[in-house]
Amino acid sequence: MNAGVIKAFMLKEFKELLRSGLIIMVYLMPSMILILFGYGMRMEVSGVRTLIIDNDKSELSRRLASKFSHSKYFDTEVGNLTEKEALREIKRAKKDTVLIIPPSFQKRILKGEKVQIGVFIDGSFPIRAMTIQSYIEGTLLSAAEEFSKGYEIKGKIVKINQRALFNQAMRDENAIIPGVIGIVLLVAPAIISALLIVREKERGSIFNFYSSPIKKTDFLIAKLTPPFLLHSLNIFILFLWASYLFKVPFRGSFLLYWFSSEIYILISLSIGLLVSVVTERQIVAVVLVIILTIIPGFLYSGMLMPISSMKGESYIQAHLFPVMYYNHILYDVFLIGEGTASFKTSLYLAILVLYAAVFLSAGVFLLKKELK
Amino acid sequence: MRAFYTVFSKEILSFLRSWGLVAVVLYSFTLDVYMAGEGIRIKPQNVKVGYTDESGGVVAKKILSRFHKPEFEKPIFFKSQKELKEAIFEKRILIGLVFDAEFEKNFLKNGKAEIGVLLDSTAATQSYISLSYLQNILFDFLETKAPFETAVHKLFNQNSDSSMFISFTELLSVITLLSVILTAVVFVKEKEEGTWEIMLLTPANSKIVILAKVLSQVAVIMVGITISLGFVIFEAFDTPLNGSFWAFMILSLLYSFTSAGIGLFIAALSESVVQVAQLSIVIMMPLIFLSGAWTPIYSMHPFLQKLSLISPLRYYIEGSESIFFRGTEFVDLWPYFLGVGALSLLFFAAGYKKIGELF
Repeated sequence: MNAGVIKAFMLKEFKELLRSGLIIMVYLMPSMILILFGYGMRMEVSGVRTLIIDNDKSELSRRLASKFSHSKYFDTEVGNLTEKEALREIKRAKKDTVLIIPPSFQKRILKGEKVQIGVFIDGSFPIRAMTIQSYIEGTLLSAAEEFSKGYEIKGKIVKINQRALFNQAMRDENAIIPGVIGIVLLVAPAIISALLIVREKERGSIFNFYSSPIKKTDFLIAKLTPPFLLHSLNIFILFLWASYLFKVPFRGSFLLYWFSSEIYILISLSIGLLVSVVTERQIVAVVLVIILTIIPGFLYSGMLMPISSMKGESYIQAHLFPVMYYNHILYDVFLIGEGTASFKTSLYLAILVLYAAVFLSAGVFLLKKELK
Repeated sequence: MRAFYTVFSKEILSFLRSWGLVAVVLYSFTLDVYMAGEGIRIKPQNVKVGYTDESGGVVAKKILSRFHKPEFEKPIFFKSQKELKEAIFEKRILIGLVFDAEFEKNFLKNGKAEIGVLLDSTAATQSYISLSYLQNILFDFLETKAPFETAVHKLFNQNSDSSMFISFTELLSVITLLSVILTAVVFVKEKEEGTWEIMLLTPANSKIVILAKVLSQVAVIMVGITISLGFVIFEAFDTPLNGSFWAFMILSLLYSFTSAGIGLFIAALSESVVQVAQLSIVIMMPLIFLSGAWTPIYSMHPFLQKLSLISPLRYYIEGSESIFFRGTEFVDLWPYFLGVGALSLLFFAAGYKKIGELF
């Protein structure tokens, strides 16, 4: 350990970061991704382009249609097409769903017979199709209740009294933003640290390191400290976006958020370091980091799919990537607020520390201070 | 023509020689697409349900017996509501059902009862959809006499199998990402390695040099698409192709020219590969955002809807989905071809002009 040498190297790294414009990347990219995803990833669908084909043209069928046109979820048009023409509208992606009310709809309802309403949904986007289906079924159900008022409803009723824990309003922002922070802080530092080393390799200036008397650990401390410090600021920036722009509540301890995020950035930097060990070219390093971080970041974050419903390999893989642990803590501090009082949160924090230690030492061990 | 051929094969050769790049490109087109499709299953599956039962009756048992695979795992019993909440917090279960002490009595006597449902809303989508499953289960159980029923046909993908869809979308994003970055790097590499001047000195028309360089990367992308379609999309996921294969290939070719145009633009602006990576992200993210891949275009703000008209990815994604899933006839595909075609002319011309200034 030689403080003077480290200081000199660190100064050089800082200057390079500033001059090469990488500094813009450090601060622009995370905020941009968070804002784009925050506004862009909506599970809720509104304004579904709906075509209702009313073959009955009675009072009841009109009331049913108006149920749809009064909902913000549907952008309704009552048309007079044949079924085939309607399907072509879906094929041309002009309409997302088509409802067909059969002839003598009213007559049969008043008689108490069962009527079938045909619903066609464009299923090429599965998740959207499922959401649309549940909206339609919900709307039809409430219409059914309304129509059967005045008649005796037969059978028993069990009501569902639902309560969404941690996110009462079921806001999309609350569910997504913490997860996006988890991805951003995994990807951005890793790219920087991989590039910092591979760039020297590609340009040949890595020989300065090979031939200089600086120790490997000193070199790495000098290399990784600048991005670590710069990215630490991002922890606060991202927090501010989440709280003030997206109004995500923050219920836990800020200290826990801060500390675990620092550890997480350290993990991300060491992933970049490991990538830089195996690659010789910057472009390969960038793509490799993106592959290694973004996909598991999304897959195993629990955002798209709850970890509890994973099976077999993917369940194990989810536990192998650090994202899951950090995201658990993130959702805890933002939405729940149990903090270290919960055994699981403390355990996950410990696991993160372990990851950081293992990855860093692996990076230090594998980086060679000589030509191959 | 010979100059064109020479530059073209030089670029192909130098691509093949950098094994790292070849490996990364191959990986992106095959394993990456496969992993995304295999891993992300948006439709709730094996949802873990927990319950506490203070009613001690048969009705609750009967309802619980209706939770079965593939949507739900066998419900797990918890002693109290507190334990149930804890389990949700620790993500051991997604949904908790609470049958209170009055449940059985109310149900049998009054015909009206309430089930408490606790949802983990940090996984909002799954919770929502699972809730609608739950509603259906109750509906079936009670044999409710609704005046009408629905026959839902989810066209083109009745079971909402998401792996087909996700793998396909992943392929489209790989195409976007790689065609921009590869094209930009082909030029910037020369800048960085200092061979730019040598390139300028070659006794060949600069137009031919630019075109050959771009086409070599477009060729790499097209080969990648073919490999990905053959091994992953058709072979591993059995994705149906309801439209014409060649329509998709032509659309992809047009589209890769659009992104190559963006790549040229980026190449003109950046001095190093690092800058290429930065600029690609800064330019491509908004275009992807506007493409409707995340939020359906009709749910966007009207201003953004207008803006999305300039995202080539919008036409490409919608067009490819139409070809693959909706099986749209060739005649009805013209808006997509027009959109991608017009934008590819525009973007390519702009990028070409920008990089041409450096020659």
